[in-house]
Amino acid sequence: MKSWAGNVSARINAVVEAIVAGLMLALVFDVWLGVVDRYYFHWQLPWPEEFARYLMIWAAMLAVSCGIAGREHIGLTAFVDLLPKVLRRASLIAMDLLALALFLYVLWYGIPFANGGASRQAMIFGTSLRPYYAAIPMAAAIASLQMALVLLRDLGAHSEPTFEEDAV
Amino acid sequence: MIWALAAFVFLILFGMPIGFAIGLAGVVGLIDMGGTQFLAIGPSKIFNGLNIFPFLAMPFFILAGEVMNDTGITDRLVKLARVLVGRFRGGLAHTNMLASVFFAGLTGSATADAAAFGRTLVPAMVKEGYKRDYACAVTAAGSIIGPTIPPSGLMVVYGSLMGVSIAGLFAAGVLPGLVICLVCMSVIAIGGNRENLPKALRGATLREVWQTFVSSLTALAMPVIILGGILGGVVTPTEAASIAVAYALFIGIFVYRTLTFRSFYGMLVRTARITGVIFVIIAFAGILGWWMSFERIPQMIAEGVLSLSDNRYIVIAIIIGLLLVVGMVMDITAILIILAPVLVPLTENVGLEPIHAGIIFVLALNISLMTPPVGACLFVLSSVTGEKLERISLKLFPFLIAEVAVLFIFAFWEDAALWLPRLLGFAQ
Amino acid sequence: GGTIKFGHDNKADPFENPAHACTAVFSNILEAGTNGSVDVEVFGSNQLGTAAEHVQQVRDGILQATLTSTGALASYYPRIDVLNLPFAFADNSSTYEVFDGAFGTALAADIEETLGDVVVLGFPDTGGFFAVTNSKRPIADLADFEGVRVRTMTLPSHQKIMQALGAEAYPLAWGEVYSGLQTGVIDGQMNPVPIISFANFAEVQEYMTLTNHLFSPYTFMINRAFYEDLTDQERTVLHHAAENCVTASRGISRIIEASDRGLAGLMDQIEVTALTAEQRKAMADATQPVFETHVAENLDAKAGELLELLKTEVSAANGNTYLD
Ligand code: NA
Ligand code: NA
Repeated sequence: MKSWAGNVSARINAVVEAIVAGLMLALVFDVWLGVVDRYYFHWQLPWPEEFARYLMIWAAMLAVSCGIAGREHIGLTAFVDLLPKVLRRASLIAMDLLALALFLYVLWYGIPFANGGASRQAMIFGTSLRPYYAAIPMAAAIASLQMALVLLRDLGAHSEPTFEEDAV
Repeated sequence: MIWALAAFVFLILFGMPIGFAIGLAGVVGLIDMGGTQFLAIGPSKIFNGLNIFPFLAMPFFILAGEVMNDTGITDRLVKLARVLVGRFRGGLAHTNMLASVFFAGLTGSATADAAAFGRTLVPAMVKEGYKRDYACAVTAAGSIIGPTIPPSGLMVVYGSLMGVSIAGLFAAGVLPGLVICLVCMSVIAIGGNRENLPKALRGATLREVWQTFVSSLTALAMPVIILGGILGGVVTPTEAASIAVAYALFIGIFVYRTLTFRSFYGMLVRTARITGVIFVIIAFAGILGWWMSFERIPQMIAEGVLSLSDNRYIVIAIIIGLLLVVGMVMDITAILIILAPVLVPLTENVGLEPIHAGIIFVLALNISLMTPPVGACLFVLSSVTGEKLERISLKLFPFLIAEVAVLFIFAFWEDAALWLPRLLGFAQ
Repeated sequence: GGTIKFGHDNKADPFENPAHACTAVFSNILEAGTNGSVDVEVFGSNQLGTAAEHVQQVRDGILQATLTSTGALASYYPRIDVLNLPFAFADNSSTYEVFDGAFGTALAADIEETLGDVVVLGFPDTGGFFAVTNSKRPIADLADFEGVRVRTMTLPSHQKIMQALGAEAYPLAWGEVYSGLQTGVIDGQMNPVPIISFANFAEVQEYMTLTNHLFSPYTFMINRAFYEDLTDQERTVLHHAAENCVTASRGISRIIEASDRGLAGLMDQIEVTALTAEQRKAMADATQPVFETHVAENLDAKAGELLELLKTEVSAANGNTYLD
């Protein structure tokens, strides 16, 4: 079960990472285009500024799940590290469950939020805001899934020091 | 109010990532308000909390740092610093601090500084034998020079919110920025023995200095190009970060020819991951901040504390204390928007010049960027270097004390704070 | 009865800006007139979110009222764009007549119908007409716009108006405008005079032209369910209060324009150009057809009707003389 969860988490993460890398690259080009347009082409494109914000939100929000998969989100572990092993694992599992609840909350209310964007017009490309708002429920769904998988993978053992950290 | 605060402390204590703890505390606040319409606000606060163009500076400077490290640009800069100041104890730490002053002319944001140096100078310092937590602390301490010396995003927000001359605030920031640099360098020098900072065995010869200088010219051109781009009116301070990326890529592909597609892919992914880790905190802080604003909590605290005295120095001290305390748990832009309209009229009552009040606010909020548990610069450094937040905070303590002291000096000594603004005609 | 939580985008000081002057007058009259059965809590400075978020929060019943800018309302109600008809109004008093008259009524009704969950109580002043500032040259004629790079909001009609004048138009984030003007990333920008003053653009700009090309009022909206729960008596007081809020916004806007925080103060820091009737006519002729094509191509027939009504009402108001 544990290694199965770890494998699924890693595979999903690899796909999300590829998407996120693509979005980051698009973001870089988008901002360059805005600069070059203003300085050289003079096309006066209306969209690079607004589109950059939406690309940034999509990339950063999707990457939240990557941070979950790699346990990279920053916390203070000084106190839990003092607890006996059983208590520490129990409390870290409880924290994982609460974090899962948080992302399920964002997903639950994120769907009507994104659908609400359908009746609102973005100022660029003549589209609605739904495709941009959809970043929130989509990212929350993947983050929830990753949270559940790493909970099974680690079962509260993830703050235990490895040899590497001892050596520092 | 008690419930959300209790939830926050409890969750952080038991190892919940800070961003998620802030999010849950915010949700507890929303539940406490009663009614599902309040719970429904969460996704909108997340989206709109991130929907801000100048935030782009952070991922772009992280990416530029990634490319610089990979291509060897960083190494060349470090070598140069070493031959120049390596014979002094803690040479690279001093270099870090000075570099922050130069970088401050390029960027208006402390997190951009922390991102760029966390990705370049911290690894270099570790390679040189510095402890990683200390290297992070030096970088964090220096990062607030970025938004103190102009340009400064926070000063632009403050100036247009409170109707104070932005150019005047810019002028007022120069001296405190330089003093912070000097004071932090003193802290480095004083702590040199205790921290056992490395130093070179012998000084470099003039010939070595020259050779290193020549070989690092391509790297040295980078800040020149960025600064030229900003001052030449080609890019805004936010877009400048994208020029840094472009130049680093150009050097990596065409000059050093070390950059491969594979390694670039890895850099894009790492940049996005770090950005996600930091932005999720900002996003969830939006929910907590909205709830606090709605319940008028910051105003309640401010009004309670400020009814205590009307002595000029005591009022200033209380305001600074309040900003630093609230700054431990809230994002600084939110604090500025919520507290400045409440507190600034009080500074008028005790006869503070608007620009003087402004620089006090900006300095206090900048310092809040590196006070735990909620400090954006700490988050950036912790996530780009992998160092633990609490370890950075411990090493940061002496720098923090020194910077708060600088803040108090400029707050109490009006002639020093307003010297340059007066010289340039921005204040009476 | 109940509490109105009222969000707006300006500083919470009634003598500082029209938004808070309006809310202060509104709450005073409403609270006094209902003997406290309705009270008002004002949240200024966008502390509960952007202006566009305020609209959503009023629709969801989290806030009960807001003053929203045209730009923020556009995503919910695209037809608000017809207000961007350039060089329409001859002076401020014409704007009062048009927004208090048949056009204001029709616009309010259409917003209410489109959104479904709000009631529009009026169109307060945001601070007056738009002016154009730049650092390249004094602008008096169409030819002077040539090659001037002007920052606009990400609003297609604003971009098209600037382009029709001969300028180049680039959207730039608000937070970057000051530094952009300072370093020359852009040469100029357009905004109402009090905003130019408050954002300190005179520090980084040399010339200002009183083009008066746009007038963009707030839309004062209140949650419909809340409105319908009020008693008849409370609703009567509410409408009185709203009317006085609009009046206060106009009064304070004219006072600010005349004070150090408006034109009088800017005159010392920036070279001000006012347009002659002929110069203004030439600019109107250059921009209005472009704008009408923009409305025809991007908005629906209903917007076309509103635009026609606006033009009729504006030309009537422009021809009227006070107390005549
Ligand atoms: Na700076
Ligand atoms: Na802090």
